Amino acid sequence: MMDSITRKAGIAAVAAFGVVLVSSASYSIVSAQGLPEGFKKGDLAPEPSAEMIEAGKRVYFTKCVWCHGVDGAGDGPGADRLWPRPRNFNQGTFKIRHTASGELPLFDAKKPIPGQNDLFETVTHGLPGSAMPSWEGILTEEQRLQVLSFVTTQLVKDRKFTDKQSETQTILQLAELKAKPATDESKKRGGELVVEKKCVECHGMEGRGDGNAFNLKDDWGFSIQPADWHKCWNFRGSRQDPYNVGNIFRTFSTGVNGTPMPSFADNTTVDERWDIANFVNSLCERDALGNPLPIDPLTDKPKINFVIPSDLVEGEIPTNIEHEAWQKAPKRYVAMGGQITHKPRNFVNRIDDIWVRSLYNNKSIVYLLEWDDRTKSVAEGKLPWAPTQVNIDVKEQEPKTGEEGSIAAHQNNYTVYNDAIAIETAVKWKELPAPIKPRYLFGSSDQFPVDIVKWEADGSLRAFKGTGWDKDFEERDNYEESMKLLKGEWKDGRWYVMIQRPVGNKKDQDYDEDTFFEVGQYIPTVFFAWDGHNGDAGRKMAVSAFFYTFMNPPIPQETYIYPAVIAVGVVLLEGWVLTRRANKKKEKGKAL
Amino acid sequence: MKALMSLGALVGVIGILLLGGMTFNIVPSTTVRLVEGYMPMQMLFELTCFVAGFAGLSYMMSAMGMPFPRFWQGIGFWAFILLYLKYRVYPPIPFSVRAMYGTVSLIAVFMWVSASEDDWKKFKQPIMNVLDAQGGMNKLLRYAYIVLIPILVGGFSYNAMVPKSEEPIELRTVHPAPPASTKVHGKTYTLQTSQNPYRVNQEGKYDQEYTNANIVEQGMGRLMKPNANPWDDKNQGYLKYVREGGEIFFQNCHFCHGDNLNGRGLHAFAFNPIPANFTDPGTIAQLQETFIFWRVSKGGIGLPNEGFPWASVMPPWEQHLTVDEIWKVILFEYWHTGYYPRTWD
Repeated sequence: MMDSITRKAGIAAVAAFGVVLVSSASYSIVSAQGLPEGFKKGDLAPEPSAEMIEAGKRVYFTKCVWCHGVDGAGDGPGADRLWPRPRNFNQGTFKIRHTASGELPLFDAKKPIPGQNDLFETVTHGLPGSAMPSWEGILTEEQRLQVLSFVTTQLVKDRKFTDKQSETQTILQLAELKAKPATDESKKRGGELVVEKKCVECHGMEGRGDGNAFNLKDDWGFSIQPADWHKCWNFRGSRQDPYNVGNIFRTFSTGVNGTPMPSFADNTTVDERWDIANFVNSLCERDALGNPLPIDPLTDKPKINFVIPSDLVEGEIPTNIEHEAWQKAPKRYVAMGGQITHKPRNFVNRIDDIWVRSLYNNKSIVYLLEWDDRTKSVAEGKLPWAPTQVNIDVKEQEPKTGEEGSIAAHQNNYTVYNDAIAIETAVKWKELPAPIKPRYLFGSSDQFPVDIVKWEADGSLRAFKGTGWDKDFEERDNYEESMKLLKGEWKDGRWYVMIQRPVGNKKDQDYDEDTFFEVGQYIPTVFFAWDGHNGDAGRKMAVSAFFYTFMNPPIPQETYIYPAVIAVGVVLLEGWVLTRRANKKKEKGKAL
Repeated sequence: MKALMSLGALVGVIGILLLGGMTFNIVPSTTVRLVEGYMPMQMLFELTCFVAGFAGLSYMMSAMGMPFPRFWQGIGFWAFILLYLKYRVYPPIPFSVRAMYGTVSLIAVFMWVSASEDDWKKFKQPIMNVLDAQGGMNKLLRYAYIVLIPILVGGFSYNAMVPKSEEPIELRTVHPAPPASTKVHGKTYTLQTSQNPYRVNQEGKYDQEYTNANIVEQGMGRLMKPNANPWDDKNQGYLKYVREGGEIFFQNCHFCHGDNLNGRGLHAFAFNPIPANFTDPGTIAQLQETFIFWRVSKGGIGLPNEGFPWASVMPPWEQHLTVDEIWKVILFEYWHTGYYPRTWD
């Protein structure tokens, strides 16, 4: 039992958290048998058969060994470039469970009770936000049970799933606990409870995972981030059903073993836990009508629409986000991946999405960019390179370093640079009929250059011309007068940046370096984002795919006239058919 | 016969209720999930169920003395096909393609209802009834149609004309024509004659038969052959290099191409075009090893001019890997997917 508890540097952090817990757990809610409310004692599952284990070994050495390693110590060839690091099975510490804090997860190789065979569910659905994919549709149910039989008996070394002396199973009866409806009252109570129970100390005042972002460590001494409640599709325990409140209830009730996230079963009633789960669930991003975002079953992330529509406003574009025009402007989810095309590659990008809105008037177009970033980062002193420099001295993670040099061990230890965001548009997009785009990443020599507008957390806004992934930018002429930063604010784990740039005009556009934004046309647009605390600078950044900025044209008059004409035409046609029919009948009548 | 038909009807009713419920979010839209890798088979199976269901339903109804008029059968079936294409098929099909399928199925339905003179009469009977009605419901209906049709047609054409910002359709060349040779790290490789130097047997000789015999087995899970574990320390030749290739793959490539080489890696969700799925028989299984060598070495930026849209984020791996490492990764990809590389003849 003691083995599961920290042996490494994490002790301090966990202990500190323990103090917080004990002090807040001034009272304890237990049922008659001394169990926390909602839990029941269960039996340990029987040992899987030798055939299952042997068959599982074959699955493991085909599929799993590459990250989890030969001995299951989470040190396979892929491990050092991953964060979170692959699970080290040896200690038997598993995050997502139906069992009480500190206990082994549920696993029975014989009879998978739907939804209640924890390890089987993890392999089936994967762990979103980490590199663990869903194995459903790749391995059969039988194969998944086999490989788990191998892992639980051969690779979990410090504990034994079948040892009645040392192991117990106290199981959350999730199927029997009826979810409390997510009423406003319940959510309000939940909102109060997350403060009372000190959830916000780690998860942040708005639940963006920005509280105490630097000091949290897991059992193995690696930095760990509190979950961002606004991205439920990244919850490890979301089980490919991110808006299901039961997942949050389960994680909150059982805690996340091996991390500072405790179980709150002992100091909350079931009713309170539902309130908190309802509140946390209500924070997850939703569409304008408050409905859950459609999730793409191929990626388990929100579905992407690659067109960013920009609405026309008369007169000045408002700078206040609460303004009606901004509230009505459609908000687009822009997925961000690490820049892993050129050196230095960014294997772990801490910004994985941006929310973009846009408005335009006859002179300018404004982008409102919002993204969650747990840390506000502004470099101390002057950066050692010029703003136009693309090839700068930032090292990429070596492939094989061992734990100490791994990407997970580096987290929160990077030199801090500026948080930044950039919008790249194709300059000569008119010569690039869709779907053709300028060459990734920064266009190509002089043929298809790109226009890059970059904002940095030090408050600077610059405009460049890019001519190739390894070519330094050229700073553009006189952009200072025409470009404006309308907003650049970090609040509770989220950046709000509003950038205004000219739309250009047909007559005297500076064709070679400035993008001319034409109404009703698809203008290829890419977004780049840098997280200063991740050591992001230069090409070490997050990138989006090509999106399109589309300035919605005002509705032309023909749109009203033609349909009316067509409708009249149909009326005439009807008249003709009816008269003809009537005549025919008359003739028939005569003939008879 | 009757039992069979009632079974069909039951399947059909359940299927329609489930599909409707999932479309309108009455039951969770994940109740019956399309599982990757089975998707085409699953859809064929579903459609078979529905056809059986419809046949059974109409039989049951006519047996109970409440037959569906042919007119509504035709329209209902066509509407079902349209809805199925729109709401069930995933990833979504663009409207233009759906319109094509819709037209084809409309013609099919038309042929079905006009297969014999009798059928055709039955089909058009309701239309004629409404057109000729002298009184009652049908007359009312006729007036309703006279008013509604122009409004609907006008509305649709307004909808079609209002400016929209739909995503432009993005076609792309999947496998561009390869060049005759490619230069990597200062050495020129002729695609027709080059060989993977690690496709060797235990004695170190180039041996396609030996290596093909040791790839993973086709079929669910694509597991390794029981006696060909690349993690066995005693390995010499092919399997040893497979393991080395795998290590490189899981340090570099899995971020996009995924742990199972199915193009669903950690960063894949952000990219468009999505990373190649090597387990799909349309990718590496169709190509020669040297073609892969060329694509891997040169990446998206090295695509020829006709290989647009040039938006691929595939790295030019010559920037990151040695020639040996590239060959080993390719070796691993064929091993892991269980495909043989195509040969030039």
